[in-house]
Amino acid sequence: MMKTYFDDLVSGIEAKLDADPASRSPRKIYALEVARLGARLYGGEDRVAWCGVTAPFDLLAAMGVTSCFVEFIGAMLASTGMTGTFLEAAEHAGFGGDTCGYHRSVLGAAKKGVMPVPDFLIATSSPCSGGLAVMENLARHFEKDLFVLNVPQEPSAEGVRYLSDQLREMAAFVTDHTGEPLDGDRFRLAIAHTNRAREIMAEAYRLAQAVPSPANGRLMGNFGIVMALLLGTEAAVDIATAYRDDFAAKVGKQGSGIAVERLRLLWIQNRIQFKNPLVDILENEYGAAVIADELNAITWDPIDPEDPFTGLARRAISIPFNGRIDRRIAHLQQMARDYRIDGAINPCHWGCRQGTGARGLIAGGLKAMGVPVLNLEVDCIDSRNFSEGQLRTRLEAFAEMLENRN
Amino acid sequence: MKAVPDRGIIGYTCAYTPIPIIEAAGFVPYRVLPMGDAPDQAGQLLHDNLCPHVKRVVDRAMGGDLPALSGMVFINSCDAMRRLADAWRNVRPQDPVIFLDLPATHDEVANRFYASELKRLADHLAVRAGIDAGEMDWQASVNTFNRLCELLAACSTRMRAGRLAGGRAAMQALYNRACTRPAAESIQELEMLLETHETDADVSPGVPVFLFGNVMPDPEAFALMESCGARIVADDFCTDSRMFSPVALGSDASVFQALAGSIAQKPPCARTFSPKTPGRMAADVVAAARECGAAGVIGHTLKFCDPYLARLPMVREALNGEGLPLLMLEGDCTLRSIGQQRTRIEAFIEMLR
Repeated sequence: MMKTYFDDLVSGIEAKLDADPASRSPRKIYALEVARLGARLYGGEDRVAWCGVTAPFDLLAAMGVTSCFVEFIGAMLASTGMTGTFLEAAEHAGFGGDTCGYHRSVLGAAKKGVMPVPDFLIATSSPCSGGLAVMENLARHFEKDLFVLNVPQEPSAEGVRYLSDQLREMAAFVTDHTGEPLDGDRFRLAIAHTNRAREIMAEAYRLAQAVPSPANGRLMGNFGIVMALLLGTEAAVDIATAYRDDFAAKVGKQGSGIAVERLRLLWIQNRIQFKNPLVDILENEYGAAVIADELNAITWDPIDPEDPFTGLARRAISIPFNGRIDRRIAHLQQMARDYRIDGAINPCHWGCRQGTGARGLIAGGLKAMGVPVLNLEVDCIDSRNFSEGQLRTRLEAFAEMLENRN
Repeated sequence: MKAVPDRGIIGYTCAYTPIPIIEAAGFVPYRVLPMGDAPDQAGQLLHDNLCPHVKRVVDRAMGGDLPALSGMVFINSCDAMRRLADAWRNVRPQDPVIFLDLPATHDEVANRFYASELKRLADHLAVRAGIDAGEMDWQASVNTFNRLCELLAACSTRMRAGRLAGGRAAMQALYNRACTRPAAESIQELEMLLETHETDADVSPGVPVFLFGNVMPDPEAFALMESCGARIVADDFCTDSRMFSPVALGSDASVFQALAGSIAQKPPCARTFSPKTPGRMAADVVAAARECGAAGVIGHTLKFCDPYLARLPMVREALNGEGLPLLMLEGDCTLRSIGQQRTRIEAFIEMLR
């Protein structure tokens, strides 16, 4: 089912681009590469590793492994409207409705045979305890070997050394399962791609800060977190370049990502992955453009190709979801300043202890600098309890409040 | 036993806390248990779907329901504990806080890292205490802690034989006192208790059950289960024996590596697992239930506890495979939440008879 879905998506986008090269937009190129990744994961030919969110996907690519964090599959299932069946399968197996919908949908998909059997699994302790637990469950389900990366909370010397040591061990673990040692030249090339993509993404983000912003909610949704999956490859460089060039052209013409930008919004943590009208309501009815997402930011330095494990370790530790909440709040405050944000939306994903847990502290941190936060009660994966009318009312009230402030 | 100077109280909230280090620095370790009548205020900072343990602890902090603290030690045991540390810094900015990054899995590399974390704690406490970390008498501290563990284990043995007045509820009260006051006081109390003649065996005719879960510190909760006809023949919670697992200093490793190694060997919370044997928790529950001769198993976990919620299906499956009935209860750190399930507990025990 998923193989057909991804194959159709790839061929559909390629056909459109062939028929109309002028339709080549950054989002289309992004969607094509994401679909190609999905097709490889489900194609049955590649070596596949199911991973945690902060796994080093560039290192795995350099070792010839197609890899992906499992939450991506949860999001894909939700975006295609298929997730209800899998959530129910997980719930029937005893996984409670209070757990994260991303994880429940993936567990249900595995039970229903909709997750390809991986060659091995690599779990990461960041960003969340639930993510670790789902990987243990999947390793048990697939009866495949599991490697765990404990991502320290702080970038102390000991923490960075600990994670870089684990990454070396992980490379050896991969070699044990593929029979192929890590090739230094391939690794250096992957790191070069990563650094190049990083540099171009940083330019794109800088351009997105323009007033009006060339970005919008559709263009930037899930961008930063999904780009992590493609780091180490030319695809990441191509996508970043497409975004950067598109934004540069728009900024040069004072172009806006939406028809008329009246308000500038920051989206915190997760997008709602199933089809919903919330971003359209904000952008089309209130001129409130979602121009920044929390994870659409570069939080790490370029990786030294002569000492790549240290750089990869620093990168994993640096993500805003890791470490103390005040670090995350400082990151959000910086984004709010950089993007000249009027307000922030926090869809408090039910079941997310890591992110949603601290919503009061996050709201307080942004409020302290004059940025109001709208906390929404939603499950970003499970549409069964989605209450569009209620959410619409809250969005409307929030947008009106922001307009009255301006 | 060497007396340690009283330099104040260091609070903690997790069974993985390295208590001997706190004692070696001359502080009294005090577990902030999720009990008491502090008003419910944590929702101002933390989402409703967060662990009730953490929220009750924050309630206590916000309500001032705490002794004078010289600092807090938090452990990176799960998302909820991370958020607890964040909330604590917000609510009580005056408290020095140290957060120890405990890996979820253990091997040589992990233990080396955790040893560096323990050293960081020792250095931090030494500064707070105004002493040199090198002056700490590790052996004395470990001896004291191990003596406390040994005495609690002896009381537990006596309790299981039906020779401890008050039964499992009284045992829980001992655990609660042992984790909230100087070790020497508990040692004295326990030694006196064990020196007294054992009461005549008063083994209840109840059905033998194995009890497991995360947080259940209220002695009345155990009394309630026993009043439903259960005889608790063994249990495993982070608020009882899991806190008091002896440690060894060893001879061929640094103090901190030895402590890190000991902590890795403790009976694990669901958040700790072995990548080589995924689902080991399920096998552990089955083994513990078999070993104590339980006719059934009662699991009690707090709502929204991801490490347990994600592993309960495998526990259920393993117990089912062994023909051991399981009753799962969810609570919120109040006796009321367990009391509401009295009928279910009674029906379960009735079924086991």
